[in-house]
Amino acid sequence: MTDVSELSPTAPAPGLRQLFTGMLMVALSAFGGGLSAWSQRIIVEQRRWMSNEEFLTGLTVARLFPGPNQINMAVYVGTFFRGLPGALAALAGMLLVPFTLLMGVGLLYFQFHTLPALDRVLAGVVAAAAGMALSMGFKILDEYGKDPVALLLAAVAFVLMQFFHMRLVPLVLVAGPLAMAWYWPRPSPPRPPAGEPR
Amino acid sequence: MPPLLLTAAAATCTPMRLNDLGHLLQVMGTFLGLSLFSLGGGNTLLAEYHHLSVAQYCWLRPAQFADIYALAEAAPGPSSMIVGLLGMGAGWPEGPGWALLSAYGAEIAILLPSTLLMVVACLSWNRLRDSPWRVAFERGLGPITLGILFAVGVKILQTADTNAAGVVVSLLVCVLMLRTRISPLWFMAVAGGLGAFGLINR
Repeated sequence: MTDVSELSPTAPAPGLRQLFTGMLMVALSAFGGGLSAWSQRIIVEQRRWMSNEEFLTGLTVARLFPGPNQINMAVYVGTFFRGLPGALAALAGMLLVPFTLLMGVGLLYFQFHTLPALDRVLAGVVAAAAGMALSMGFKILDEYGKDPVALLLAAVAFVLMQFFHMRLVPLVLVAGPLAMAWYWPRPSPPRPPAGEPR
Repeated sequence: MPPLLLTAAAATCTPMRLNDLGHLLQVMGTFLGLSLFSLGGGNTLLAEYHHLSVAQYCWLRPAQFADIYALAEAAPGPSSMIVGLLGMGAGWPEGPGWALLSAYGAEIAILLPSTLLMVVACLSWNRLRDSPWRVAFERGLGPITLGILFAVGVKILQTADTNAAGVVVSLLVCVLMLRTRISPLWFMAVAGGLGAFGLINR
């Protein structure tokens, strides 16, 4: 693999059509997985639209803000070059083929899911998918292993949802501000950030 | 199996009587309101999707929800496209045409608010980056997302509602997902085979 940090963006800023086709390429290349690796390869290494640093900033923003990460990444790339129209073009390119395919699968499913043979296969597939869902929490657990307050917050959120059937929106609206208050950055040097509400 | 697995299918659901357009608007309004709560890449919303589509609006039966989750995970592309399938389920009683319209409406509705916010975030990132709000949001919401993801995992496992062999496969897949880099498509293919031969059933 090439050292991506050495590459610098050499291509002129892409237009709307190029954003669409670029994201289409990312989506097509990523059949079978690895979407974010493919978008880095195509956007940074092949098309040289962005530097790797700009790309990584995009990943940070995409993970921070609400919305699916890969879709937010497409929005970032589009916005970076062409603002809102660019975001929509990139989004359309990213979703066109996979979503159309999924709609085809969905129509077949709703038409035929009562067939016993299909239902039996799906029962197995569902068991595997449940295992994938179960792994999501464990996957990010390590990030919080050394922070007892974080683990406590996670445990409280889990218990409220699982055993008290608290819904997502009230949970986030109540627990979110409390957690934010706890983690509010305390400035160590005497340099209060000007103009920011404390 | 343990009582853990019995809770999912218990509730019955009575659908709201709406005309075609009413259904479509209900679907879109629901997902518009949820868009900005899709933390942690959107998977935090799965339990809410389950509640809405199975318990509240009766778009799907529990087993169908589990099927749709598996299809969205197996299909190429972002797994958050499950919302399109939920919309399709909501519109299916009115025929395939409405189902497709409802699917596209649902997907646009779930993506629109978060996309607009993301555009604003990108354009003002230089100011946001060092803001204490950003730091507190990132560090504070992270642990809550973690707790929600565990609850989501248990909810999907309950909804899958398979026999003992199926639960063993689920736990095994969970471990393999964490310990190996094998593509999850293999797990689904093998488990689908086990289902076809009747080893896993529900």
